[in-house]
Amino acid sequence: MEKIINIDSAEIVREEPNKVKAKKRLSKKWRDYIFIFVMLLYPIAQFVFTWSFVNIKSVLLAFQEGSVYGYTWVGFDTISKVFYESFNSYRNTTGVSWLNDSAVIILNSVGFAFITIFISLPLSVLFSFFLSKKMPLANVFRVIFFLPNIIPVVALTFAFKMAYQPEVGYLYPLIKALGISETSLNTYPLSQLLVYGYCIWAGLGYNIILLSGAIGRIPKELLESAKIDNCGYFKEFIHVVIPMIWPTIVTLVILGMTNVLTLYLQPLFLTNGEGNTWTISLEIWESVSTSNPKALCEAAAKGLIFSAIWSPVIMLTRHFMSKPFSEVNY
Amino acid sequence: METIENISEIKQIEKKKTKSVGFHSVKWIVFVLFAVYAISLIIPFVWMLINSFKTQSDFFNGSVWGFPKQWEGLNFYEVLTYTVTTVGGYEESVFEMILWSLLTTVLGTFVNVFLSAVVAYVLVNYKFPGRNLIYGVAIFTMVTPIVGTLPAQVNMMEMLHLDDSLIGVLFLYSGCFGFNFIMLYSAFSSISWSYAEAAGMDGASRFGIFFKIMLPMAKGPIIACCILQAITLWNDYSTPYLFMPSHYTLAVGLNELQGEFTGKGNYPMMFASFIVALIPVLILYSCFQKKIIENTNAGGLKG
Repeated sequence: MEKIINIDSAEIVREEPNKVKAKKRLSKKWRDYIFIFVMLLYPIAQFVFTWSFVNIKSVLLAFQEGSVYGYTWVGFDTISKVFYESFNSYRNTTGVSWLNDSAVIILNSVGFAFITIFISLPLSVLFSFFLSKKMPLANVFRVIFFLPNIIPVVALTFAFKMAYQPEVGYLYPLIKALGISETSLNTYPLSQLLVYGYCIWAGLGYNIILLSGAIGRIPKELLESAKIDNCGYFKEFIHVVIPMIWPTIVTLVILGMTNVLTLYLQPLFLTNGEGNTWTISLEIWESVSTSNPKALCEAAAKGLIFSAIWSPVIMLTRHFMSKPFSEVNY
Repeated sequence: METIENISEIKQIEKKKTKSVGFHSVKWIVFVLFAVYAISLIIPFVWMLINSFKTQSDFFNGSVWGFPKQWEGLNFYEVLTYTVTTVGGYEESVFEMILWSLLTTVLGTFVNVFLSAVVAYVLVNYKFPGRNLIYGVAIFTMVTPIVGTLPAQVNMMEMLHLDDSLIGVLFLYSGCFGFNFIMLYSAFSSISWSYAEAAGMDGASRFGIFFKIMLPMAKGPIIACCILQAITLWNDYSTPYLFMPSHYTLAVGLNELQGEFTGKGNYPMMFASFIVALIPVLILYSCFQKKIIENTNAGGLKG
């Protein structure tokens, strides 16, 4: 059948070549458009709807007050209330005189950026450099280091928590020997240090995988020419490796900075907020999961306030960090 | 001339040797650190595995590192039939949680990777007005940190009446302008369009070309995306917890189980339930670990 149709159309082409050709080209273009339309309809609609709805609604909710009867406009009331409460708490259960219950939440959150940028990142840059230098068992290490990324956070936090669980934990004898009491494990600041410790422990592997991948992509000629110039390992690291993997480093710094406003699962599972381990987004998560309209508006206001403060900082950091080695492109 | 060159070479080699002695000792220190870190990642799970076979009294009376008196799989059987009450008020056993996890993971992975592939394919191969805009917006939203939108998301799902259904969760998973889109965009860019042209000459339709020719050609990257996506979704806690409270997936249920078992002091059962949750992920990982790590690497480049 198909062949016959082809013959027919071929005959028509012979009869009026120019006209039909033009018609055919047009219809091909339109058939392309129909194909594109059908294929992209759902993805684009889903994206435009969710993205614009969520972002516009986030702002709108912050200017409203929710109750069981619905949402009413209150202007800046919710925002100013949340703003005040986020910075001034009368309660102080941290045991540190200058750190009240609201300041500790901000300190905890900012702390996550600090530890990822100034502890995890330098460690993993160094480690990946060594991993690239014919380290024995390098591949075995890579496989194991990636494990934290495939294990559910619930299970990983539990595994970490079990280590120092009183009586049953496998590291408990060590903790006992160090003279750390059971209660101090659950009170600030040790409680928070354990959450930080978990994040370094669980996050190091992913950084190492990304960075050693970036080091692996450095052109071999470059490393060889450095060797010919009698450039030692230290110089090679500072002058060749760091500039070449700079884009990946910037990405990891930015990721670390967004942690300040996005990290909540780790403290949720490790401590459930006990021992003053709250973060900004754990508070938002807590209000959201109660699905109480009033709490929802306050959570939106909180999100808006801290995004307005923190996003410009992230943007500026990205801007200034991408400058030094901007000519690197490979 | 030659001799002089040789001398300088020898000097260079000597210099190098002294340097590399220092470097090698540092390298061995780093090796030991690596080994310690690797062991610290594995030990907790080995420990859990050993203890998951013990009875409760065996666990508390014996050494925590001792092997069980008799290896019993009873905990695993009990865990699978153990039921919890979900927030939505349903009784759900761990076995049912596994089924819900499988369902959301398989369907979620399918919608996400399939739609990402569709969008990537069309954007790579068809020129139409707005094409660059779509790509630009996709990249822009990926690199712009917008946080704290969770409340609005909850509000949206309530308005759509999708706040307690599998459809709602899948709707959120079907957002396809993410990491997979970027990966598949570069995958389709590297496939020559002449195959499609040849097929078009033979009378294949546009859909036929996509499904029968181009999708199979991008099989490798697509499988890699599927595996990573499946692992992410299997482990996802927030989305099913918020938008499917009547039915728990295993990741959500684990947190509930942890509370219940720890309250009763029944650690062996707790460990058994974690092992159950880990097995599928570990199987996927051990089969495809090379592909997974390569793919993560490629993602880091794009940021």
